[in-house]
Amino acid sequence: MTASRPRILVVDDEPQIHRFIGPALDAAGYEPVRADDGASALREIARKPPDAVVLDLGLPDMDGKEVLVKARAFYAGPILILSARDRETEKIDALDLGADDYVEKPFGIGEFLARLRVALRHRLLKDGAEPVVTVGDLTIDMERRRITRAGEPVRLSPKEYDLLARLVAGGGRVITHRQLLTAVWGPAHVEDVQYLRVFVGQLRQKIEADPAAPKLIATEPGVGYRFND
Amino acid sequence: MTLDEPRRPDPDALLAEARREGRGRLKVFLGMSPGVGKTYEMLQAAQRRKAEGADVVVGIAETHGRAETEAVLAGLEILPRKSIDYRDRAMPEFDIDAALARRPGLLLVDEYAHSNVPGSRHPKRWQDVQELVAAGIDVWTTLNVQHLESLVDVVWKITGARQRETVPDQVLNSADDIEVIDITPAEIRQRLTEGKVYVPETARLASENFFKTENLTALRELALRRAAQTVDQQLQGAMRLAGVEGPWAAGERILVLVGPDGMASTLARAGRRLADTMDASWTVAHVERPNRAPPTAMAAAMLSDALKMAEQLGGSTVSLTGDDLVGAILDYAARNHVTQIVIGKPRGGRWREAMGLSLSSALIQRASGVALHVLTDEPEAPSARRAKPAPRAAGAWRGHAAAIAMVAVSGAVAALLERIAPGANLAMVFLLSVLASAIAYGLWPAVTAAALSAFVYNFFFLEPRLTFFIGHGADVITFLVFFMVAMTTGWLAGRVRDQARDASQRASAVAALLAASRRMSAAATQDEASRALAEQLAAATGGRAAVFLPSQGDIAPAAASPDMPVFSTPDMAAARWAWERGETAGAGTGTLPNASWTFHPLQSLKARAGVAAIEPRAQGGDDERFVLALIDQGAVALERAELAADAADAEALRRTDRLRSALLNSISHDLRTPLATVLGSATTLIDFGKSIDAKVQRDLLGAIKEEAERLNRYVGDLLDMTRLEGGALVTRKDWTDVRDVLRAALERVERRRGNRRLDTDFPRELTMIKADPGLLEQVLVNIMENAIAYSPDGSTIEAAAYEDRGNVVISIEDEGRGIPTAELENVFEKFRRMEESTDRGKGAGLGLAIAKGFIDAMGGRIAAASPIQDGRGTRILVSLPKDIPTPAILL
Repeated sequence: MTASRPRILVVDDEPQIHRFIGPALDAAGYEPVRADDGASALREIARKPPDAVVLDLGLPDMDGKEVLVKARAFYAGPILILSARDRETEKIDALDLGADDYVEKPFGIGEFLARLRVALRHRLLKDGAEPVVTVGDLTIDMERRRITRAGEPVRLSPKEYDLLARLVAGGGRVITHRQLLTAVWGPAHVEDVQYLRVFVGQLRQKIEADPAAPKLIATEPGVGYRFND
Repeated sequence: MTLDEPRRPDPDALLAEARREGRGRLKVFLGMSPGVGKTYEMLQAAQRRKAEGADVVVGIAETHGRAETEAVLAGLEILPRKSIDYRDRAMPEFDIDAALARRPGLLLVDEYAHSNVPGSRHPKRWQDVQELVAAGIDVWTTLNVQHLESLVDVVWKITGARQRETVPDQVLNSADDIEVIDITPAEIRQRLTEGKVYVPETARLASENFFKTENLTALRELALRRAAQTVDQQLQGAMRLAGVEGPWAAGERILVLVGPDGMASTLARAGRRLADTMDASWTVAHVERPNRAPPTAMAAAMLSDALKMAEQLGGSTVSLTGDDLVGAILDYAARNHVTQIVIGKPRGGRWREAMGLSLSSALIQRASGVALHVLTDEPEAPSARRAKPAPRAAGAWRGHAAAIAMVAVSGAVAALLERIAPGANLAMVFLLSVLASAIAYGLWPAVTAAALSAFVYNFFFLEPRLTFFIGHGADVITFLVFFMVAMTTGWLAGRVRDQARDASQRASAVAALLAASRRMSAAATQDEASRALAEQLAAATGGRAAVFLPSQGDIAPAAASPDMPVFSTPDMAAARWAWERGETAGAGTGTLPNASWTFHPLQSLKARAGVAAIEPRAQGGDDERFVLALIDQGAVALERAELAADAADAEALRRTDRLRSALLNSISHDLRTPLATVLGSATTLIDFGKSIDAKVQRDLLGAIKEEAERLNRYVGDLLDMTRLEGGALVTRKDWTDVRDVLRAALERVERRRGNRRLDTDFPRELTMIKADPGLLEQVLVNIMENAIAYSPDGSTIEAAAYEDRGNVVISIEDEGRGIPTAELENVFEKFRRMEESTDRGKGAGLGLAIAKGFIDAMGGRIAAASPIQDGRGTRILVSLPKDIPTPAILL
């Protein structure tokens, strides 16, 4: 039945994009819903909330960010941004405004579907609220604020722990610099990206198998960090 | 006091110190008279410094053939003198340029007060020294106290000799060190008799005149006092700098009043001396009285000389205005806390004094809390040029002739009246002629009329007739009345006429300035502004004028009026001086006076805009201020023009910038969108090839092909545009049938038309034109693609061709939304596309820009019209000229 297939709303004004995303989503087991502009997208989200929204930032009738803000007022599901590489600030703004993740055009369909899966899974997890996260030999016990690596306890400073917890809570999604700084150091320090460099470096020393080639905490240059679980 | 706040240095003192930075140190060896051994002492000290390892160079040293001086010069590096041709003689002179180039650690320049040979850069050696010090070179120089400007009168009184070579006091005060070479008068007389000062014959004369013991004693006192004053000032400066609190002088302020007369400069010097002894600040003021006749040119020149001198002596100057002389002075004095007023008592003021009108008595009556110094005029002061009465106007005799004629008419009328109405008061008739002469011709013709009237009236009309005998005593009163009326009316009329003339002069000056200002502010470019300024200056001075503007690190004449003169080397040197230093230079100034032009820097708010050159005129004076105002306005106009040019450049840059960002946007969007489709479709096919049905697979493959074509078109567009922009477009003109090209273009867009109808309307006969068929086809394809992109599916696009006079016209119409009128003129711009369209499958917004570029290259024209029907539709018209109009006979 169609009810078991997650509904994905794709908002893009380029018919050519719909032309391949539609069949790809369909083949991957989703139910694609097409919207060509911001207004019809918002109507569709309000009419029947989809399981996820894929939103192009360049829309003919309104700014993609505007759609995002308006949608966030009544829609809590994952929103994936389609953006161009030269629109860095737009992309970060969108993430700060509540988008879950982004994919840069042009993209291979595999990458796109992977991002979509992460976003969907995170939403599922959120409801269940998993207190213990295990990645490889690393175990993070959110409830007891304890971290072990191969059974050995890892000592983290309170700020390091807060940072790690925020990254882990992202569940594989990118967390922007601003979001991390606000969560850990407070809104007064949103511009102090150098704090992050230092603390992420320290965290990697403590939890990564090879801190020189980090696998757990990935850097999204100019945007933020992502915890690969 | 337990906690004492450290004293803060006086800001003025700090400023003065800051101004000193980068300057050399100036040391003056001050003596009371020639022969005290200044040069000798300076050279000895220099030898000592050299022995210590200093880089000492003698710029110039006058040994006057004294053996012991020559001896002490030995071993010092001496700059060769520069030879300056003056009146067919080569005069050796101090070479300032060589000194500046050599840049020694210490330079000796003898005789501070020396006047340079005409043709040198500066008229005076002290100006050379100032330039050297400003350039950072330490200078030692020598000076006799008698050469100080403020002491000229005093020295003249002591010695009876008047110094021509003088140095402004300010220049001595600016010295960092003063060393007094002091010997007793007896010693100097001894040296004189020993022939150490002058050769024997000269020495004898000098001994009897100048070198009298009492003279020498007085001069010695002057020298010592001057040195003490300077030392005192330096001490105070040092204390202020260190923040030490006074005992400062009580703050005496001296006001020196000068007028347009021979006493003006004497008063200014007296002010300086008084200021020195009181350690007070001093101001020289003169009062302009608007309702008085203006002073003669000569008197005005004396006044302005005195004011200039006062500034050189270190005083400030102020010009007050007011008819009430005493009121204006006392008002200024009260506002500025003046404690001492210096005035002069000119000669010939006795009868006015008797009438109680003297300035001094008026001041004494009305002033309070002020000490008054009255200087009496010194008879035959050598520098006092007595004002000659203004030359009588050439046409003055006409006034007298007219007066005589009027009296004659009055006589005739009186004779007539005596017949008609005997007993009438005939004196009144004559009074009429006196009045008329006074009003029309002023004072003196009126007096002539009065005298003549008295005679004629007495001779012809008073008993006994035909004699000059006056019968009745009362008639004398009549004559007196004649004269009084003549004098009063004449004087009044004269004043009225003078004022009217003044007012009209002032009005015409204001009008001229206004016109000039309007003209210059209308100038949009620097060229226009400089031309306007040159013309206005030439008109104002009645001579030639030119404007120099900076060009390639130098300045060059940019405009001149009435014609471009040839500037000599001294002229160019003076022009550069004015440009580099921001000081007026050239003829009539203290710098490079041998130039034949005067160069004024054009100083505006921000920077120096250029230099204005004016040919000096025979008569200076009144319009000087007007010329300066013109120069100021010119500077502002030039600066404004420059700013406007800058703004235009910035605007051009901004446009380029906008274009660049449009290009980036376009590449970003138009290249990436097809790429995204290609990549997305291809990966979908790779990942899910098996699980999607064949129809969808074909569609995805179709999408890849279409988008690859779109990319290709876009790259082609960019290439075309680059060819156009880079000037690499070569048109190969060939005989072309426009209909063939249209058909080919229609074929090319066939696949993209969807369900749109493509109609054609071609005539059966169409003249061939010379055109590049390849380019023309691209143009038509671009236009048609544009039409397809902006019109709905199912609508009709019509292509037509026809002849219109000398042209073949191609018209392509669509039924799309049309173009807003405001956008019509922009459709052929690069990266222009309708942003609000929902279908992004359009080009980069380059299509029409390329079409226009190609058509322009082929010598044709392209235009857009919209809407064409029912508020919809766009029509693009391409018009190409028939190359050679074929004569009808040959068809």
